[in-house]
Amino acid sequence: MSSAPIADLSYRNYDGALESPNKLWWVIARQILRVSLKKRILWVMSFLAGSYFAIMMAIFFFTERMSQSTAPMMTGSNMPAMNPLQQLMDRIIWKDQFVHGISMGQMWFLIMSLVVGVGTIANDNRANALLVYLSKPCDKKDYLLGKWMGVFLTLLIGMSIPSLFFYAYGILSYRDYGFFTGDKLLLFKLLFLLVTNAAIYASLAIGISSLFNQGRLAGATMAAVYFLSNFFTQAMSGAWMAFQDDGNATAKGIVSKLFYGSVDGLNIGLAKSTLATSGSPPFGIPDRMEQVPAPPFLAAFAIIIIVSMLSMLIAWKRVRAVEVVG
Amino acid sequence: MSSVSVASIQNLTVRYGRFTALDNFSVEVPNGCVGLLGPNGAGKTTLIKTLLGFIDAAAGGGTVFGHDIKKDGRLIRQKIGLMPEQDCHIPGMSAVQFVAFAGELAGMPAAQALRRAHEVLEYCGLGEARYRNVETYSTGMKQRIKLAQALIHGPKLLLLDEPTNGLDPQGREDMLELVRSITHEKELNVIVSSHLLPDIERICDHVIVVVGGKLRTEGLIRDLKKIEGHPCDIELREASPAFVAAIETLGATLLESKGYRYRIQAPGTPDQVSKLAFQAARQTGAQVREFSVAERSLEDAFLEAIR
Repeated sequence: MSSAPIADLSYRNYDGALESPNKLWWVIARQILRVSLKKRILWVMSFLAGSYFAIMMAIFFFTERMSQSTAPMMTGSNMPAMNPLQQLMDRIIWKDQFVHGISMGQMWFLIMSLVVGVGTIANDNRANALLVYLSKPCDKKDYLLGKWMGVFLTLLIGMSIPSLFFYAYGILSYRDYGFFTGDKLLLFKLLFLLVTNAAIYASLAIGISSLFNQGRLAGATMAAVYFLSNFFTQAMSGAWMAFQDDGNATAKGIVSKLFYGSVDGLNIGLAKSTLATSGSPPFGIPDRMEQVPAPPFLAAFAIIIIVSMLSMLIAWKRVRAVEVVG
Repeated sequence: MSSVSVASIQNLTVRYGRFTALDNFSVEVPNGCVGLLGPNGAGKTTLIKTLLGFIDAAAGGGTVFGHDIKKDGRLIRQKIGLMPEQDCHIPGMSAVQFVAFAGELAGMPAAQALRRAHEVLEYCGLGEARYRNVETYSTGMKQRIKLAQALIHGPKLLLLDEPTNGLDPQGREDMLELVRSITHEKELNVIVSSHLLPDIERICDHVIVVVGGKLRTEGLIRDLKKIEGHPCDIELREASPAFVAAIETLGATLLESKGYRYRIQAPGTPDQVSKLAFQAARQTGAQVREFSVAERSLEDAFLEAIR
């Protein structure tokens, strides 16, 4: 029997089609999506980010079911009969549930960013991958836009599933309780919030990633930025509670602004201002404590844009095509 | 191969701050396999960067396959494959994913890129290891995968920066053979930048020597190795002073003598010199084992060029 290969293994020139090099950013973004969406940890984090919504869905489901079989409470001869479970359902402010959901999902959003985004450029730096990218027809703009878009879209998918699932559940089940009439633009506002959340996390991840040659170091730095700024927010939260009975309006005004001075604070602030609410206690538990008021929408949005732009500017400065050879 | 030039550089000046890396540099890079030689800091890397369209020239300009290096960087890079000196890969990918992705980055449709990635990896000798993560590869395999990612989109010009760096003798031999087959059998244009003159001599037909940002010399290797006056080397069966005396009588000059090897120079063409040599051998009964036109080593030619 001949030992020669059955196929022609010699080099053949490629004369097939080459697409225009104008949309190479999408090739890079698609590759990140392909790899990231296969990571199980992303979906675990997405599920955990939706834990508030899952708990609330269970509460609403059982409360509504039970309210139908609970006898009305008689409060007096001239007063109509009251159903306490029905009252609880009527008391629910639906848009506040999204503020809480987004607020409680922040740490999981951070972990998603660490898993998906923070290694993108740092690991490329370690493996000299820029030599591959930039020696092809793609340039720095394609590279950064592709990296950002890939991370952004992955985060957007991971972050959106719980909120949108809850929205779908709500609109199908609780229209009679004002889910839709409470805020007819809720879906659009929610989409806007998810996009800004994903954008700021993607930008921070890319910016920090570009500073390092090791994904782990970049991850540690991003986590440190998050937790240190979050520690500041917690301190402001403590100060806010301390000022509850004080009545010092100036101090409360300052604390109410500083409360939003962290990564998750910015997102929570934007959620409150977009949904035009100061929020209410989570899980529908009555609480007499005053909520931190929403910051001005434009200020919150502008700060998110500035932080994102600065992060991308850092990445732009750090990625240099001229270092590709030699 | 035709003599159409692959790239044409005219009066190119490139500066990094106050340092001039290329100074009024002009060259026509011919078809075929061209060696780019020069000492460290000579401007070879700057020339490659300029061909790739990464550097804005302070003056002058040029074209690669007719595309302006100042305006058409993307189009030029679509026609060029770069095999860099340093190890490089995209982390977290198997070889076939990496090479296919490199093809997509060059503009290939995804399905075509994947099909050709298998072909190119097979050709580069990585067929068996193509599903392994590139990070687990040995140095030799990493060199091969760099070549594969440079070849994936069927470039018209391949830039190889120190292609045998870090390879063991067998690996070096295999890599040179691979490059030689691409350039000589498949007629792909290649520019090889290397400090290893034997490698250049083995695979290239043409060299460009850059020193201090200026073109010092360029041409076919066989022309550069020629010695002025066409001296010839003669190897006899054994040393023969009578042969030397006879050939000097016939008008030749003995330039060098090492045992039974003689280098002589005589007026006329190498054919005419050979006739003189055989006449002297007949007269003295010396037995000629080898006769060849003497030439310098590429190293000597290079050292003379950079002096």
